[in-house]
Amino acid sequence: MSAFTGRQTLTVARHEGNAGRQKRVGQILLYTTLVAIALLFIVPIIWLILSSLKTETEYNAYPIRILPRVWQWKNYFEAVEQRRGIRGVHQYVGWALRSLGLCALNGIPDVLVSAMVGFGFARQRVRVRNLFFTVMLSMVMVPGLVTTIPQFVLFTRFHLIGTYWPWLLWGLASTPYFVFMFRQFFASFPKELEDAAEIDGCNRLRVFWQIMMPSAGPVVATCAIFSFQGNWGDWFAPTLFLTGDKQTMAMALANAYQDPAGNPMVVQTMAAIVLFIIPTVIAYFLGERRIRESAITSGLKG
Amino acid sequence: MTTTSTLTKAGKKRRSSKREQREVMWFFFFISPWLIGFVVLSLVSLVLGLLTSFTNFDGFNLSTLKWVGLSNYARIFSDRDALWGLQRTTLYAILYVPLALVISFTLAVLLNQRIRGRGFLGGIFYIPSILPVVAVAWMWKLLMSRNSGLVNAFISLLSPGTAINWLSSQYATAVLIFLSIWMGIGGGVIIFLAALQGVPKELEEAALIDGATRFQMFLRVIVPLMTPIIFFRLVMGIIGALQVFTAPLLLTSTNSGLTIGTMPPRANYMFMVHAVQQTFAKGRYGYGAALVWMFFVLILVVTLIVFRSQRYWVFYEVEQEGGEA
Repeated sequence: MSAFTGRQTLTVARHEGNAGRQKRVGQILLYTTLVAIALLFIVPIIWLILSSLKTETEYNAYPIRILPRVWQWKNYFEAVEQRRGIRGVHQYVGWALRSLGLCALNGIPDVLVSAMVGFGFARQRVRVRNLFFTVMLSMVMVPGLVTTIPQFVLFTRFHLIGTYWPWLLWGLASTPYFVFMFRQFFASFPKELEDAAEIDGCNRLRVFWQIMMPSAGPVVATCAIFSFQGNWGDWFAPTLFLTGDKQTMAMALANAYQDPAGNPMVVQTMAAIVLFIIPTVIAYFLGERRIRESAITSGLKG
Repeated sequence: MTTTSTLTKAGKKRRSSKREQREVMWFFFFISPWLIGFVVLSLVSLVLGLLTSFTNFDGFNLSTLKWVGLSNYARIFSDRDALWGLQRTTLYAILYVPLALVISFTLAVLLNQRIRGRGFLGGIFYIPSILPVVAVAWMWKLLMSRNSGLVNAFISLLSPGTAINWLSSQYATAVLIFLSIWMGIGGGVIIFLAALQGVPKELEEAALIDGATRFQMFLRVIVPLMTPIIFFRLVMGIIGALQVFTAPLLLTSTNSGLTIGTMPPRANYMFMVHAVQQTFAKGRYGYGAALVWMFFVLILVVTLIVFRSQRYWVFYEVEQEGGEA
């Protein structure tokens, strides 16, 4: 690729003379800068992966070793097999299943309910609509802890700490950002579609569920991915609202594994961390274009 | 004649108001999940938190609960840790927010030139922002580790024998800022890039024909066009940075296990960290509520000031009357 650009540079420079050469030099400089910054950007990820493939001694070596002498793929097996829990099931599996469970318990109702609320805000021409919409969006301004701490007190009263109920409740209450995306989407449908459906005897719920929702696939996918990434990586809420016997992946991996003598097992933990981030990266690539688009529209329209 | 027309009018009115009623009913039906959730989870929490901030609530003492008026708020001003946290948070925000803005804007400008692999490079800058913060904190702990870290290894190439303890109080805020920038600029890059690509080519050409240099054109045409987005990113950046909490906690190296009550190095003892410490580690729910509420008001005031500053530096495209001039 770089050879190709180089050859192209030469021929173009010969044709365009001095100004062209200057332009080309600028281009190469620009390219080098960008690639250098991009490389700098992936260093933390590469270094994590390299660490996960070393032995503990190599990891601790001073002066450092950049590459492992022998790639320790077994770290990955040990990461998963660490700490056998009840009934011989690896704890790692338990953490993963719990994280996934929370993703589903929160994400599925959240996306569906947000779609419904978004439909209401987009298609019901009611005077108070904008007032309610503003109230909803203005909640984004409130620092999370302002509501989280009283919620913790409330949930303690109702004995919901250490249960999965909070995730379901948060999901059923919808998420302003998702509602916003669905509203934008549903607002783009022509009025005639609704009118025609109404003449055919469709009520509003059917207009929402059978006419508009089937084409909302892209928005559903985007919200589902955002929701998955939020829940999968969330450390704060599970740490606060769950108890130690119900650990999620993020909770468990915040601390390094320890060997029976209590020494940290960093390389195995890093292998576990690599496995932990793979789903979020896959989810990102599944919806890359749409995620970027929605980041842009929400950013531009404010 | 008159009577029939009155009749139909009344009928229409009745029908339309009935229709309106139905619309209103359906509206509330559709938004009800949010509305109920908002009232039960958010509004109740807001009111409850505000009320708590005027009491001596410690999590259990419902029988001896006392109204203490504004004394929790008064206490903040003599609480050295709170003032320290406020100072560190301000410093963090003042460094992180502008740096993140400048870096993401610069990268977007560079990517906006005619180059190959623009999408791929943009993707690389975006990936860190989708990673779980737990994983990101680990990456930075590894990189910055005193003995086995890549950064110290690199520095000791230049000056042998240096082993900086990056995660100690002296440098912890710098590491936190690096981490935040690494994780936080991706969104900015793609938003700025999209906006830059939306700048009409004619505008640039017109400026160049008028004799502006490329740099002048950039400064006088492109940057003003970008100010609404810079403004938006600035507001969101400030609101987010002031609330920084999870990252400083997870960046702490500790042997006793990271929990909500973990004490970060003094330099990273942010305001929200203090609020959580007071609430959960010390069980001072009343005082903790006062801390977060005061901070909430502070964030609102700062946001308002930034909003007010708009008219001095943010350029909104003026809608021209009578079509194109």
